[in-house]
Amino acid sequence: MTKLIQVTNLKKVFEDGADQVHAFGPLSMDINNGEFLAILGPSGCGKSTLMLIMAGLLESTTGKVEFENKLVEGPKTDIGIMFQNNTLVPWRTVKGNIELQLELRGLNLEDYQDKINDILKSVSLEDFAHRYPHELSGGMQQRAAFCQAMIHEPKIILLDEPLGKLDAMTREKIRSDFQKLWMVKRPTVIFVTHSIEEAVQLSSRVILISPRPGKIDREIKIDLPYPRDLKLKRSEKFMKYVNSIEEVFHEYGVI
Amino acid sequence: MKKFIKWILSGWMVILFFIGFFLFWEYSVVFFEVPKFILPPPSQIFLKGSADIDKLIYYTGITALETVLGFAIAIVLGLVFGIAISFSSILRRTLYPFFVSIEMTPKIAFAPLFISWFGFGLLPKVIIVILVCFFPIVLNAILAFNSLSNELTLFYQSTGASRIKTFFKIRLPAALPQCFVGFKYAGINATVGATIAEFIGSDKGLGFYISIVTGNMRPDLAFAGIFFLTCLGLAVFAFVTIMEKILMPWHISMRRLNKQ
Repeated sequence: MTKLIQVTNLKKVFEDGADQVHAFGPLSMDINNGEFLAILGPSGCGKSTLMLIMAGLLESTTGKVEFENKLVEGPKTDIGIMFQNNTLVPWRTVKGNIELQLELRGLNLEDYQDKINDILKSVSLEDFAHRYPHELSGGMQQRAAFCQAMIHEPKIILLDEPLGKLDAMTREKIRSDFQKLWMVKRPTVIFVTHSIEEAVQLSSRVILISPRPGKIDREIKIDLPYPRDLKLKRSEKFMKYVNSIEEVFHEYGVI
Repeated sequence: MKKFIKWILSGWMVILFFIGFFLFWEYSVVFFEVPKFILPPPSQIFLKGSADIDKLIYYTGITALETVLGFAIAIVLGLVFGIAISFSSILRRTLYPFFVSIEMTPKIAFAPLFISWFGFGLLPKVIIVILVCFFPIVLNAILAFNSLSNELTLFYQSTGASRIKTFFKIRLPAALPQCFVGFKYAGINATVGATIAEFIGSDKGLGFYISIVTGNMRPDLAFAGIFFLTCLGLAVFAFVTIMEKILMPWHISMRRLNKQ
């Protein structure tokens, strides 16, 4: 596998007047092309900040990020992002919101009409294309946000706890949507989460971050076959991964 | 038509209340034998007002012109300055605190000065209306353009879109609801500004009319003037509300209204 992103001695300290908050670091890591990487850690360990710095959306205090051997100095644009609070705008329909991504990038809307229909179908939202976000449930909104983040087929997908606010059933559904998309298109996914189960189910590698200031505690390769369905989640191997990670967090006193 | 009937039916309590209010007024004035030059009954206000209707309508037009001109200019200026301050850190550190401190001054206190500088005509009234409308608009616009969610900011940055494109596609529509808070507040102030400016120095307009007829011991005509002023205020407010509905039918406040 080829290296896509290289993080070296990265550190972030937030300064607010005299107050300093050491978010994370210094830490170093590599992200490979096409992997599904989970960054797992307790709240406040700086994992979202780390992800944003990697995408050039935030500046680091020290250290550097290289993207295909080039220093990252401004926002990377070959990415799709999903947050816990979605980026759907209330004045556009579901379809309009997907088109917003394309319009902002200066892409031709006509070229994408089929793709929009396909991606909406893939998350069972085809009948809701002309509804406004407020007319949808939280889970449907997040699936619409998924379409918005993926329509331009980004090489890198950043997921910042996108399922944080959803109920268990909806989470399971969207997890399988992520998995399906990743298995077909093989983008590089950086998935920030505090759900151990979610990290083990989806990712090919998990990076464990300690509480603030965040440091890389260890890396765990998840050697389980895809697609990872319910049956696999009940298997002994799956539980073993979950348990071993739980123990690490137990040592930190966060669970 | 159906909608209108439905509206009447849903509003019957308010209509009944108004009728009750005027009946109470009418009969308590008679019952307590209040002299007509202190508080006239609504029937007399209506009769005497109708006799003077030409003048009232003409003066309403004058005050409306001052109000609408001043309000419209204040919206343009308020948005221009609001956007400039939101996007310039230098203006935010200079003009913004200046505006906040002037907001604390009762603007109407400038009215006599403007009259003495610019005379009795239209100009000083329009300036006073601009002055009372400008600050709520500009301060709300600054708030509006500075409260884009963190997520949306990161989202548009990740697309590499130009500043102008993100302004029209994201920042401006996102700012509209808070801007309208300012427009509504300013809309209420607009007629107040015009009326007081006319009280202080003018030879036409509803404010002038009310102060003259009150001096002539004609409260019935003063109330007729107040009635027309109320209508003018309602019209300005209705216009802003309709614009709000047209420009942002998606907004949460509109959804609640539509449900009721």
